[in-house]
Amino acid sequence: MTLALLLLTAAGVAAWGLDSMYRDLGLRARQDVLDAQVIALIAAADIDDQGRLVPGNLAEPRLAAPGSGLYAEIVSSSGSWRSPSALGSGLNLAAVPAIGERRLEFARLADGSRVLGLSLGIRWELEDGGSRDFIIRAAESLEPWYAEVARVRAWLLTGSIVLGLMLLAGLGVALRIAMKPLDRLESQIADIEAGRRELLGFDWPRELAGVTGNLNALLTGDRKRLERYRTTLGNLAHSLKTPLAALRGLIECGHDDRESSLRQLDRMQEIVQHQLKRAVFGGTGAVMTDLAVQEPLEQLRVALAKVYSDKAPVITTAVAPGTAYPIDTGDFLELAGNLLDNACKYCKTEVAVRAMAWTSADWRRPGLLLDFEDDGRGIEPSERSRVLERGARADESVAGQGIGLSVAREIAAAYSGALEIGESRLGGARVSVRLPGR
Amino acid sequence: MRLLIVEDEPALRETLARQFRSAGFVVDLAADGVDGEFSGKEYPIDIAVVDLGLPGKSGLEAIRAWRKADKSFPVLILTARDSWQEKVAGLDAGADDYVTKPFRFEEVLARVQALLRRSGGWSQPMLKSGAIELDSRSQEVRVAGAAIELTAFEYRLLEYLMLHAGQVVSKSELTEKLYEQDFERDSNTIEVFIGRLRRKLDPDGNRQPIETLRGRGYRIARD
Repeated sequence: MTLALLLLTAAGVAAWGLDSMYRDLGLRARQDVLDAQVIALIAAADIDDQGRLVPGNLAEPRLAAPGSGLYAEIVSSSGSWRSPSALGSGLNLAAVPAIGERRLEFARLADGSRVLGLSLGIRWELEDGGSRDFIIRAAESLEPWYAEVARVRAWLLTGSIVLGLMLLAGLGVALRIAMKPLDRLESQIADIEAGRRELLGFDWPRELAGVTGNLNALLTGDRKRLERYRTTLGNLAHSLKTPLAALRGLIECGHDDRESSLRQLDRMQEIVQHQLKRAVFGGTGAVMTDLAVQEPLEQLRVALAKVYSDKAPVITTAVAPGTAYPIDTGDFLELAGNLLDNACKYCKTEVAVRAMAWTSADWRRPGLLLDFEDDGRGIEPSERSRVLERGARADESVAGQGIGLSVAREIAAAYSGALEIGESRLGGARVSVRLPGR
Repeated sequence: MRLLIVEDEPALRETLARQFRSAGFVVDLAADGVDGEFSGKEYPIDIAVVDLGLPGKSGLEAIRAWRKADKSFPVLILTARDSWQEKVAGLDAGADDYVTKPFRFEEVLARVQALLRRSGGWSQPMLKSGAIELDSRSQEVRVAGAAIELTAFEYRLLEYLMLHAGQVVSKSELTEKLYEQDFERDSNTIEVFIGRLRRKLDPDGNRQPIETLRGRGYRIARD
């Protein structure tokens, strides 16, 4: 709407500009004609016996024909001359210019038609050495020109209206074409709301691909979270069954075995703790802002250096400048905290952390690579997959390395990433986290 | 050792207090951050165990306030969730270690002992002074390799002196740190216990491990 108004205004302004330019040029042309007439009159004029200045012969035939639209007169104190064309026209020019001065005026004839008049004051040298002053005037009817101006105006008006309408129509068509994918998006979102569809399609124009990509990420994250909650709840219920049954058994048998009961309670507490830990981390999949990883890694380094101050491991962090990734701060601290804690726990003296961006041609935003290395005993290749699996279900979990690693693995998975265990160049274990870009 | 527990959950607070007392600690209690901050600033405590999720003033604020007031006693935080964000915040505020709930008392005790040892400048769990060796984990004392039997109070007295080895420890400091607040403060008792400790550590009287500095206090040499 705003655009349409702007377009119409622009068309109006253009028409008005053209019109006034045309008028200016026309008026100047009229002036030139009158100037030429005045000069021609002077050239042809001479003093007659009555002391008037009279043109000898009229070079311009229009001056001879009455009502021709071109008029002239020469006025002086001693009498005046008028062109035959001015007879009965009621030409009445009033300007009295000084010697050598030109004056323009608009006037009306007796029949009401408009004329443009030019008056020039001159001093005529007489043969007897004296001089006499005259005013030479020429006037031309403006009516033919006004008619032309009116015609041009009509053209301009029609032209700009047609142009404006065409622009509006074009705009409408362009908008309709541009809005088509949005309509499609709207109907797809409605489908998702109604449960008829899981994700948005993928063939979007470039301008929409960013939004739809983010929306899909949001939906996927949401679905994953829902699945995780279901799994967590299932695991929790399932894994509490065993100790509950054991407790019930103990009570029903009438055993007053405090130690066994406490063991079952501990176990239940551990299970709840473990599942809470897994449920708490966000991995919301929502479109998050980039987290610069340097600072949280540094916080963790300082915190763990404090916790392990007996062992005083040398923890070095190498973060490529500007490394950032869209991850929740809590999730990142949980992921890196668990892995760095493990590295400190199992190292002899040295721990190294590296973080850098990870790029791929398919991604508009880079992924994140994290390496945690230590110089401890390392993890045997045969143990690696088991260590990662441990704690995947609460009822198999054991406190210690298993929980930390499996929590880290699940956070990485929540960001569609993966954990990999290898050998460190320091001699111990290397745990690598790869979080993909988008 | 004088320990401050800042914990809002009464059951947990009382349990911890009972367990620490039976482990030989003198325990001060605070139920919220305001109280905790005051106790930490005003009492001569050696270590604090602080729950981070407190009503009113948070545990974090109390720790920050202590550190700002130049209180350097070690602080162990109890975090309700095993959240690294909370741990990092706590350690950053000035805490020295953390234990996540739920915990076993043995774990808390081990951490507290390790922190005390570290704040005394010992990096090993085994404290040594001359022929005396004190294992803070097993609470065993050996002199020239031979285990000796100490009563709970004698052990606490020796542990305190050894943790502060090389420093002069006054009798009033010992009374404050080894007795509950409302206990009758009789410095003669300390002298009696020092005497017994000397006889057990050095029956022949030729090593003189505990030095007496008249009018100032006692000192155990640092290796």
